[in-house]
Amino acid sequence: MAVLEVKDLRIYYRTLKGYAQAVDGVSFQIEEGEYLGLVGESGCGKSTIAKAILRILPPNGEIMGGAILFNGQDLVSMKSSDLKKIQWKEISMVPQSAMYSFDPVYRIEDQLLEAIETHEKTTREVALSKIRELFGLVGLNEKRLKDYPHQFSGGMRQRAMIAMALTLDPTLIIADEATTGLDVIVQDQILYRIKEIHEKMKKTMLLITHNMAVVAENCDKIGVMYAGKIMEYGGESVFLNPYHPYTLGLVNAFPSLTDTGRELISIPGYPPSLLNPPKGCRFHDRCPFTKEECVKEEPLLRLVAEKHFSACHYPDQVDRFRDLAQKPETWAKRE
Amino acid sequence: MEMSGAGRGKSARVRKLSFLHWPLESLKVIFQDTLGAIGLIFLVIFIVMAFLAPMVAPWGPFDVVFNPDKSVRRLLPPNPTNLLGTTNMGMDVFSQLLYGSRIALVVGFFSAIAGALLGTLVGLFSGYYGRWIDQVLMRITDIAFGIPILPFALIIISVTKPSLTIIILLIIFFLWRTTARVIRSQVLSLRERPFVWAAKAAGASDLKILFFHIGPNVLPFSFLYMAIGVSAGVMYEAALSFLGFGDPHVLSWGQMLNFAFNAGAMRNAWWWVLPPGLCLSLFVTSSFMITRAYEQMINPRLREI
Amino acid sequence: MTGLKKYILMRLISLVFVIFCILSIIFVLVKFLPGDPTAIFVDSRFSPEMIDMQKKLWGLTDPLWVQYLSYLKNMAIFDFGRSFFQIQPVREIVLEKLLNTCAMMVPSVILSVVLGTILGAVAGWKRGSKFETTMVTTSLFLRSAPSFFVGILVLMLFSYTLRWLPSGGMSPPGTAAGFWQTVFSVGFLKHLILPTIVLMSREITGPILLLRSSMLEVKGSDFLDILRAKGLSEAQIIKHATRNALLPLVTYVAVMTGLLFQGQVLLEIIFAWPGIGREIVTALKDLDYPVAQACFYLMALTILLMNFIADLLYGFIDPRITYN
Repeated sequence: MAVLEVKDLRIYYRTLKGYAQAVDGVSFQIEEGEYLGLVGESGCGKSTIAKAILRILPPNGEIMGGAILFNGQDLVSMKSSDLKKIQWKEISMVPQSAMYSFDPVYRIEDQLLEAIETHEKTTREVALSKIRELFGLVGLNEKRLKDYPHQFSGGMRQRAMIAMALTLDPTLIIADEATTGLDVIVQDQILYRIKEIHEKMKKTMLLITHNMAVVAENCDKIGVMYAGKIMEYGGESVFLNPYHPYTLGLVNAFPSLTDTGRELISIPGYPPSLLNPPKGCRFHDRCPFTKEECVKEEPLLRLVAEKHFSACHYPDQVDRFRDLAQKPETWAKRE
Repeated sequence: MEMSGAGRGKSARVRKLSFLHWPLESLKVIFQDTLGAIGLIFLVIFIVMAFLAPMVAPWGPFDVVFNPDKSVRRLLPPNPTNLLGTTNMGMDVFSQLLYGSRIALVVGFFSAIAGALLGTLVGLFSGYYGRWIDQVLMRITDIAFGIPILPFALIIISVTKPSLTIIILLIIFFLWRTTARVIRSQVLSLRERPFVWAAKAAGASDLKILFFHIGPNVLPFSFLYMAIGVSAGVMYEAALSFLGFGDPHVLSWGQMLNFAFNAGAMRNAWWWVLPPGLCLSLFVTSSFMITRAYEQMINPRLREI
Repeated sequence: MTGLKKYILMRLISLVFVIFCILSIIFVLVKFLPGDPTAIFVDSRFSPEMIDMQKKLWGLTDPLWVQYLSYLKNMAIFDFGRSFFQIQPVREIVLEKLLNTCAMMVPSVILSVVLGTILGAVAGWKRGSKFETTMVTTSLFLRSAPSFFVGILVLMLFSYTLRWLPSGGMSPPGTAAGFWQTVFSVGFLKHLILPTIVLMSREITGPILLLRSSMLEVKGSDFLDILRAKGLSEAQIIKHATRNALLPLVTYVAVMTGLLFQGQVLLEIIFAWPGIGREIVTALKDLDYPVAQACFYLMALTILLMNFIADLLYGFIDPRITYN
């Protein structure tokens, strides 16, 4: 049984102008010990899914349908009192670095203790020793435990956040844009630690990011999201042998260390409005290979290779697509 | 910012806001806020009251009302002749009330405008020129902040003679300190903005920048403190008069309360006590509501979404 | 010197400087304004011989700068000389009145702050609710109404019409007791009720509005999401939020207390409360200048001290403030 199974999840945000269909029928699974990366542009809905899992959506976010199964139990319909036993103890989160994720007026130590004391009955000494151990694990000096959050640098805060996420030894850890906002060197360090935790402690992980390179380097499984839907889904092959034009665009947008001198490609245009998403394929207005069918009918995820799914009407044309996608002219702005 | 050929003249116009822009905008916004609208309506009522006073009031503020038989109509409850009754000296409360509104408006607006103007000037010069001018002006403001308003006013009035002029001057003295501080901090942040550099590069003199570029941008705050000043001014005049330090030749609402209080009217002459008190409260509350509505406009964080 | 110590020192110097200036202003005012410049030391109703003697006694025949220096010295050591009318030295009179004012103020301030904080925090947390709207509107009205009129109304209603509560004074007439004995008596409590109601009705609005807006800001913070994800209960989360929202309150209370001292004047007159506010008014009316001067000095001192404390507290309370 999968640790986390998201089934046809739909989450809309209530706005003054109507419902923004942020997540519109998303399904994926994470088996035990797997490291899934959800990648996509800002606003594609990936963070919304993370928040929905832990039930920390903003007040105007509503789960309209679908299920989130954690070890078989549906988190969406679960009672608050039951969910509290799962929050942080079974599923924890490392949020974006730019957020002030720690309460600024409490010491780091107290906040970590709070996580433990909310769920377990232990003595303060036992809890403290666990916290010290965790700090050592993430490479922080335990003397800094008594500091306030603002006294830590961004990278240190993220490491403290990772320590806090580990306090109750959860089954699943969600890293929601955990490295966004950090400089690349620190980013690398944090990702390295997260990967270490995944491998050494055998934790199941969900990484959410807009950075394809990060996902390619760290994850076992990749899900590419666009405008509230999953466009492509599978293992490493999603990056190595992409089928969906959007993935092709993303992959080609990142500079390669080896192929220097290659002109960078960017996908022209903007994601569609979620208030009134287009019928048919949501990517059709930016896709260089759009045909009539793409505008009229929405493509569903279909198997295109071993354990590899793509939501495109023309997977058979993939070789041609891959060739063309490498050329900048393909992506040039069409009037 | 584009520098088109004509240089100073044209670029100045790009940035400069019309001086009428803010008052009209403000009125619109204030009206949109319910409480602010109510406040505005009452204020207008008071203004009308003040203008019409000499025509509507049956007697002058200090006139004694006599009966046909030459006896004085003292301490009478509201009756057909004296709509709000009479005082212990036989004066018509209603007339006094009407004339009192004139004083309220004069004191309120005069001191508020002057106070806000002075405060804005101090803030502008202090914030813009910095260094020793700033230090000196800010020290003076600090001292002004340390002086307790009411006691200071009481002492000054004791040493000089009580007069409306002195009172207005005192109120101005206290209004400018808050305005100055706020305007100064605004100017401090504004003077580093690109449009100021651009004006300097175009050759605008300091004074011109101060009054034509930075000035209009701090105007909203000046207006805000002017609004605050109106209610504060009226309150202080009322307080001083109530304590017996008001101008004896002038009949303000506070003065009415002073007379009433000293005559022990609280025990039995509610018609003498309540009207001026209510008018005072309404006036102050109205200005306060207007101020608040206005404040919401210039500080979007306060807005009720 | 650490940043903190330097900050305190700067503020202290500023404080002393301002006090010095204010004292000088008063000195100059009294000497040079129109009106009898010696009035503050000599009662003009004395006979010419007495006036001369008084002038010598008060050092009024000394050169101006000598008078100035001895004046400063006296103020610094709180030696206010003798009253023109009352027997006790001014210092005793004024201190007694100061205590009386505190007796009226302290209970109101404490109650207002505690109740106001709770009400304001809940109002801010439950944004958009009827509770919040009611709180805000009521607070706005109460805050803007002139407190002395509220005082008059309250007196008229509860004291004169209904005759439930005494109409003035600090304790039942005829009870001449020391300060502490008075304060702990039942009679005092009865006299305290009305002034407290009036004071509170105005002062509670400050914390309510402040906590509410502070709470609204905190509500948008990101760390609240993580707290929820940690599985904390609603009550625990509110506690976290309130701790963050309290910061502006601390300085507000300090400043507000300072300002109350001078606003008390009106209420003390209405309720005939023998506090420092009433004292300055009666002293000025009676031309008892030493007392008036001393009252003013103490009031100014209190305001400045409270502002100074506010500055200090602000630095201490917020762990984010550094002094560099």
